[in-house]
Amino acid sequence: MWETVAQAVINGLLIGGIYALVSIGVTLIFGVVKIVNFAQGEFVMIGMYISFFLANQYGIDPLLSLFVSMPVLFVAGVLIQHYLIRRVLGPNDMPQIFLTFALSLLLLNLALMLFTANYRTVHTSYSDEAFHVGGLYIPEAKLIAFVVAMLLSGALWLFLHTTDLGKAMRAAAQNRDVAMLMGINPNRVFCVALGIALALAGAAGSLLMPFYSAYPLVGQVFVLMAFVAVVLGTLGNVIGALIASLMMGIAESLGIQFVGADSGSIVVFAMLLLTLAFKPTGLGGGRAR
Amino acid sequence: MKKQHRPSVINNADPGQTRARQHSRRKFLLKTGGILAASAFGAVPLRGWAADPVNIGALYPTTGSMAQIGVGCVAAAKLAVEMVNESGGIKSLGGAKLNLILSDVQSDTTVTRTETDRLISGNKLSAIHGCFASALTLIASEVAERAHVPLISGSSSDQLNKGRTYTFTPFARASQFARAQLQMAKLVSEHPKVAVIFENTAFGTSTSNGLRELAPGEGVEIVMFEPYSAGFTDASPLINKVKSSGANALFSVSYLNDLILIVRSVKQVGLNIAINGGSGGFVIPDFYKNVGKLAEGLQGVAHWNHDMDANSAKVNEEYKKRTGEFLFEYAGGLVAQTFMIADALERAASADPQKVRDALSSLDVSSGYAAMAPGGKVKFGPDGKNVYGRPVGVQWQNGDLASVFPKEDARAPLLKT
Repeated sequence: MWETVAQAVINGLLIGGIYALVSIGVTLIFGVVKIVNFAQGEFVMIGMYISFFLANQYGIDPLLSLFVSMPVLFVAGVLIQHYLIRRVLGPNDMPQIFLTFALSLLLLNLALMLFTANYRTVHTSYSDEAFHVGGLYIPEAKLIAFVVAMLLSGALWLFLHTTDLGKAMRAAAQNRDVAMLMGINPNRVFCVALGIALALAGAAGSLLMPFYSAYPLVGQVFVLMAFVAVVLGTLGNVIGALIASLMMGIAESLGIQFVGADSGSIVVFAMLLLTLAFKPTGLGGGRAR
Repeated sequence: MKKQHRPSVINNADPGQTRARQHSRRKFLLKTGGILAASAFGAVPLRGWAADPVNIGALYPTTGSMAQIGVGCVAAAKLAVEMVNESGGIKSLGGAKLNLILSDVQSDTTVTRTETDRLISGNKLSAIHGCFASALTLIASEVAERAHVPLISGSSSDQLNKGRTYTFTPFARASQFARAQLQMAKLVSEHPKVAVIFENTAFGTSTSNGLRELAPGEGVEIVMFEPYSAGFTDASPLINKVKSSGANALFSVSYLNDLILIVRSVKQVGLNIAINGGSGGFVIPDFYKNVGKLAEGLQGVAHWNHDMDANSAKVNEEYKKRTGEFLFEYAGGLVAQTFMIADALERAASADPQKVRDALSSLDVSSGYAAMAPGGKVKFGPDGKNVYGRPVGVQWQNGDLASVFPKEDARAPLLKT
């Protein structure tokens, strides 16, 4: 019995690492720029296709293509902030919602047109292998993805806490007006925040590629989970989103194991409802960090 | 590019103005040249090339979510028509050539209805074949029924045989697939303990319920029966469950993406279990391309396979030469269907759809390309069902599909995994 539980926890933790990369991006954008990026899932999809084509055309390992997908999406993020989002920032939320939602639809349909709805997979030597430890197994590709996801989250934390730019971003997240008064250039901070958030989505895509199929709708699968994690872990709180993502992964896995294979998301959303009812500010204690 | 604008003898679905003019000019030259030649060389029978071509409609989804399969079907349809024409066309009609009229139904039910209507009203058709997905074929057959044009299809839904008199289905029905799958489980173990996992929408639930109903009668024990929601992020928890159920065979009624995750997880868990993926997306070359070596030894069921007889092998070779992939179930079946239509035309000695329908209903073949079906015989009952129709059990072996079940159709021994 304990073995089954332990296995379910391991499975959940590993997939939770991927949810974390997506949700940290969403929460970072919300915390700093104060907009909800509905297109975050589509950037995961783009990251996957970048890795797929690099692997397919040049035989580059999806994990190495991280060094392509992250910079490409960082630049995309800066451009999107500078040329699109900057224009709709203002007292009214509606244009921002329409903008990111439209971006999501546009990218999704562009992908359908360019890449068709077919599933694309990449085979690596470690795609189908697993480490076996005392009756438990840990899939290699997922373990690598989890470790890299945690390293990236750690790097982001260091960036936010030790560099001037990072501190400026946190300041903007905590109180934008005061931060402006202190001489922080908002557009520069916003551009970097968008860049980092999209780079994380790209990383999630590249890390997924060894064990998941790329298709135009793939982002939708992950973005829903990311939004739940962002709310659970307090909007704008990076550490909260990370912890909430891991918890959700585990809850989903235990749900599938002990409730039913189509009930994984029931458990996750029950968790969300209970949190909203008893701790409406989220597990992060209501503070954006 | 979505549409091919390459002028072809076969594809003239949408003759634009210029094409029509070119066509008549070509015809004019042909005829005048022919007459000149005939008068120069004496008596040359005019009938051979003067016979009007016979129009055959082909409805396949060449764009949209089923595009890949639809494109393969069209390639097979063209090949089949060329084969008929090269062997002299329809002799009883003065060597009339078959003329394939293609139409893209875009993987969409609404488009299927309008396209079928357009195809029938815009052309003088003798017969139609199509449309891969049962959901699309059901609609096309309804339109064809009203227009009194015979439609022949490899789609497996049993509903196609209800209240239709112009629809013919030469291959196994959906209800037969479930039974074959259960019987295949007995090849793996004398006491099969089957875990059935299925995606929880109409496709998964109806197929799996069919399996559950038939299981006791076939002496198969179902130890796990579990729906899941399609498009999950991780199959590991589900496979964890299969492992604890103690099953020795796994039936997965899944879409491609989920199936890939399931097969990978089974390998990672180190679970030794015979997997049967059923039919449809499981028995096409694309499946192997996506799953790779892990697909080796996986079992499925099909209504047609390219290793059934010498004729199928021959068609397969030619198809491979053209497309680089083996001739898959649905495409192979429609080659046979084209020859069934040709057989009916031959006996009807008329291109009139009503007469072709009557000739199809009395079709009875046991040799040649028209008899390429598991069992090697085709004869339609009053409901348009092939009375000899049966599925064939297949297994992925060395990147190819080998027939392994039942005994009389087996062309390779079952690989035990």
